[in-house]
Amino acid sequence: MAVVKLVQKPDNDDVREAFKLAETHFGHVPNLVRALGSNPAMCRTITAFIVQSLREGRVSWGFKELVILKTLRAISSFYGYGAHEALAQELGNSPERIGDIANSLWENSPHFNEAERAVFELVKQIAIDANAVPDELWDRLRKHWDHGQLVELDALITTFIMIGRVADTLGVTDPVLFKRKVKN
Amino acid sequence: MSAKPAQLPLVEPDQADALTKQIYENAEKRFQMVLNIFKVTGHASEIAEKMWNIFFEILAEGQVDWYTKELLILKATKTGDCLYCVTQHEVVAERLGVTPEKQKDLVGQVYKDSPHFNDKECAIVDLCAHMCVDPEQIPADVWTRVKSYYDDGQIVELAVTVGAYIQVSKFGDALGVQLEDVFSGHQPRLFAKEPPKSAAARHHLEHFLERGKAAAH
Repeated sequence: MAVVKLVQKPDNDDVREAFKLAETHFGHVPNLVRALGSNPAMCRTITAFIVQSLREGRVSWGFKELVILKTLRAISSFYGYGAHEALAQELGNSPERIGDIANSLWENSPHFNEAERAVFELVKQIAIDANAVPDELWDRLRKHWDHGQLVELDALITTFIMIGRVADTLGVTDPVLFKRKVKN
Repeated sequence: MSAKPAQLPLVEPDQADALTKQIYENAEKRFQMVLNIFKVTGHASEIAEKMWNIFFEILAEGQVDWYTKELLILKATKTGDCLYCVTQHEVVAERLGVTPEKQKDLVGQVYKDSPHFNDKECAIVDLCAHMCVDPEQIPADVWTRVKSYYDDGQIVELAVTVGAYIQVSKFGDALGVQLEDVFSGHQPRLFAKEPPKSAAARHHLEHFLERGKAAAH
């Protein structure tokens, strides 16, 4: 049971707007959005930020899902983990790619290229100590990704650290995130 | 001594696209300046817009008063060894009435026996301390105390405040975003009381203090 009630019927315009956005994007209103529903300002802004993250962006959504999976594992959070595994597969990732980020196999896996590996290194380091990301790793990241993509990746990693922490703290689970097809 | 540049160039207002300019204007209205961490997000304005909207809501009176949220922001960012956030929020918190003595008692478990903290504040600082490390280990007793003082909407705001500051501190630290010159000479009091655990953060602190000394001369 969640720490806070899961709002079923919004009685506030901000929450109605957030639920509508969630319904359109996810095909339903996820429990995390319902849990935030007691606080209209937080519900509206966090929902908009999550929706912005979970779509095609400067970085492909398929790869972003792998980054999310690695991030959740790196902080020992399993909020929505199964849902993100399913999404990762629906967005074109092979079971091998999904499996190899569950442990350290990604470091030598033939299923990833150097650009992707550098991002997983960034995930690992941010989770442990964001102050200690080596200049050498940034050199490699800048070689493969442009500035906008690097902002998106850093924001994605740290957003899902936030989402994992908030959802686990509030005791919210979302075994299914999307109830609509994400790929035509 | 000049600051080491961030890992990505800062997007100055005259280089910014229309949406970024709007975000900078909002930031300047709220904070009297465009902070470096805003400028680094100018490379991806569509992400910056959604991200900063969360912080515009947190850094204001809400269902929880801003003063209380500053206690959590300082605790969360100190736990994460974020020099950038701690330094800025020591200044903000003091403007809102959180005395330097009270700020310093946020380190470790000092707040629990501090005359500056009441039971209500201790309950949420306890929650914050656990949330930063491992939410699964939040003791039931902490929840009992928190729920005796705060309703659901307020608990959401407390949790989001902590989560958002874990997010933004890691976001900026990973990119090596440096403190603005206006903070030069500030002596971070929480880190003076308890140095950063991270060797890299200790190095950043030493460098920042040297910058302050150099600027003073």
